[in-house]
Amino acid sequence: MSDLIQYTFNGLVVGSIFAIAAVGISLLYSVLRLVNFAAGDFLTLGAFLTYFLSVTLELNFFFSIVVSMLAGMGISWFLELVLWRNLRRNKAGTLALFLVATGVALMLRPIIQFLFGTETRKFNIDILKTYDFLGARIAHTQLLVLIFASASILVIALFISKARIGKDMRAYANNPGLAAVSGINVDRVVLATWLISGALGSLAGVFQGLVQGQFNNSMGESLLLSFFAAVVLGTIGDAYGALVGGLLLGLFMELSQLSFFFGGVPSNYKPVVAFATLVLVLLFKPEGIFGYRGRKV
Amino acid sequence: MINSNSDQVLFSVNDLQGGYGDIQILNGVTIKVPDQSIVTIVGPNGAGKSTILKAIYKIADVTSGSVTLNKNGVITNVLATKPHNLSSIGVGYVPQIENIFPALSIEENLEVGFVNFENNNLETIKDDIYQRYPDLKIKAKDRAGTLSGGQRQMLAMARALMSSPRILLLDEPSAGLAPALVDQLFEELVKINKSGVTILMVEQNARRALAISDYGYVLDMGKNRHEGAGASMVDDPEIVGIYLGKK
Ligand SMILES: Nc1ncnc2c1ncn2[C@@H]1O[C@H](COP(=O)(O)OP(=O)(O)OP(=O)(O)O)[C@@H](O)[C@H]1O
Ligand SMILES: [Mg+2]
Repeated sequence: MSDLIQYTFNGLVVGSIFAIAAVGISLLYSVLRLVNFAAGDFLTLGAFLTYFLSVTLELNFFFSIVVSMLAGMGISWFLELVLWRNLRRNKAGTLALFLVATGVALMLRPIIQFLFGTETRKFNIDILKTYDFLGARIAHTQLLVLIFASASILVIALFISKARIGKDMRAYANNPGLAAVSGINVDRVVLATWLISGALGSLAGVFQGLVQGQFNNSMGESLLLSFFAAVVLGTIGDAYGALVGGLLLGLFMELSQLSFFFGGVPSNYKPVVAFATLVLVLLFKPEGIFGYRGRKV
Repeated sequence: MINSNSDQVLFSVNDLQGGYGDIQILNGVTIKVPDQSIVTIVGPNGAGKSTILKAIYKIADVTSGSVTLNKNGVITNVLATKPHNLSSIGVGYVPQIENIFPALSIEENLEVGFVNFENNNLETIKDDIYQRYPDLKIKAKDRAGTLSGGQRQMLAMARALMSSPRILLLDEPSAGLAPALVDQLFEELVKINKSGVTILMVEQNARRALAISDYGYVLDMGKNRHEGAGASMVDDPEIVGIYLGKK
């Protein structure tokens, strides 16, 4: 019983981070048809920048997170201006965009290494402090992440469903041709998508760094597969779906370690669970949990 | 209510040439749309009717000619205006196909059509639209993809009206509608026009469209072929014979 609580809690924590990263990826895909393989490295960058500001420069932790989110937005927007916009103008297809995104990832890694070194880092937060909850051990950092990540998810969901720009983004994703002729400011939609994805990348990176306790510069890329599994699980290009897909995948990956699940999957096999989920969804429900067959993604 | 001056041309397409890349479709089309009027463009399939509207929205290419909007003396070069800004200067467009957002709710379809200018109020306009189209109000929260063909066409029109247009550009508004709905649509268009919205439409249902139009153009091979008062064209034996088909 206490195991169930423990893994469910862990799953919610991990899942909420997946959700935040996955929704950024999903929005980029739905609006720009871009499979952002650089998403993982934006997490790494966010975590290291926050480390640099809050630990090395001893600035306020929350302030550091905000600056990192702004940096993620800025870099995303910069790449849009010099790269993506021009590729789209040249009618680059999804495969071309995907390859370039992979290239961006390969470029970001050495840059992060050069700027922040290769050592393992940790934030200036007590990672050993834990609470006892019905027999489960809940780390202080996990609790913090769960609270702030849940709040972020709520804000994202509300933004996408209620804000005018959120509706514009969904409209553009659904029918770009009509959006462009019906008064929706397409430039603003693209800008908003990059800014959101950049901010969420950094935020998810900080959350992940907190949960792991310590992190190195391959943190983000090692999670990429899980993010994409979450995106596919929640229906490619569906923003709410990505939120739910992330949570479900996180729960599933943690709960798979319980003994009732084939004796419990060893924790270092978690990426295999993510990959298996991805393959199973693609095989048996390719449209994802929120999709309907024949839908244009 | 509105200070109408039917002689004033609100919208004009002047000697427009263009097409798709190297393929020239429009070979010099000229259309004048008087303020407060209904003008219809008819012509055989492939004549380039849709291409005129697409050229205005940069979906088709323009090689020469111009398109002008003249709102009470304020003249705008339409072709130099970004397509998404045309709504905010009073030009609304309902494309021939894929003219709704199926994944969004009906209400959201309307909301994204709203353009905030001249103290427009979203809720007021939405109420007006729901009054005009009660069927849409009933289904407001449903996904637009669940609507029938007729209701989709209704929603497409309603979405365009959300931006309070001075002129509506309609591409085959009656296409795919059941006969009873076609009657309803044309009545609706007359009402919209009476409320002060100028209409330029392309229609296959030429006879019906011309009957409610102040003026009509026959387009063929990307060129003006005939023009005249709408009702008179329906009676012109030559036009009837060649372009409208026997009754
Ligand atoms: N995207 C495109 N690329 C190349 N040619 C096109 C394209 N769209 C249309 N055409 C061609 O342009 C010509 C005019 O098409 P357009 O759609 O303007 O005709 P239309 O008068 O609206 O006909 P319909 O009554 O069938 O709607 C046609 O020959 C069509 O095949
Ligand atoms: Mg057409």
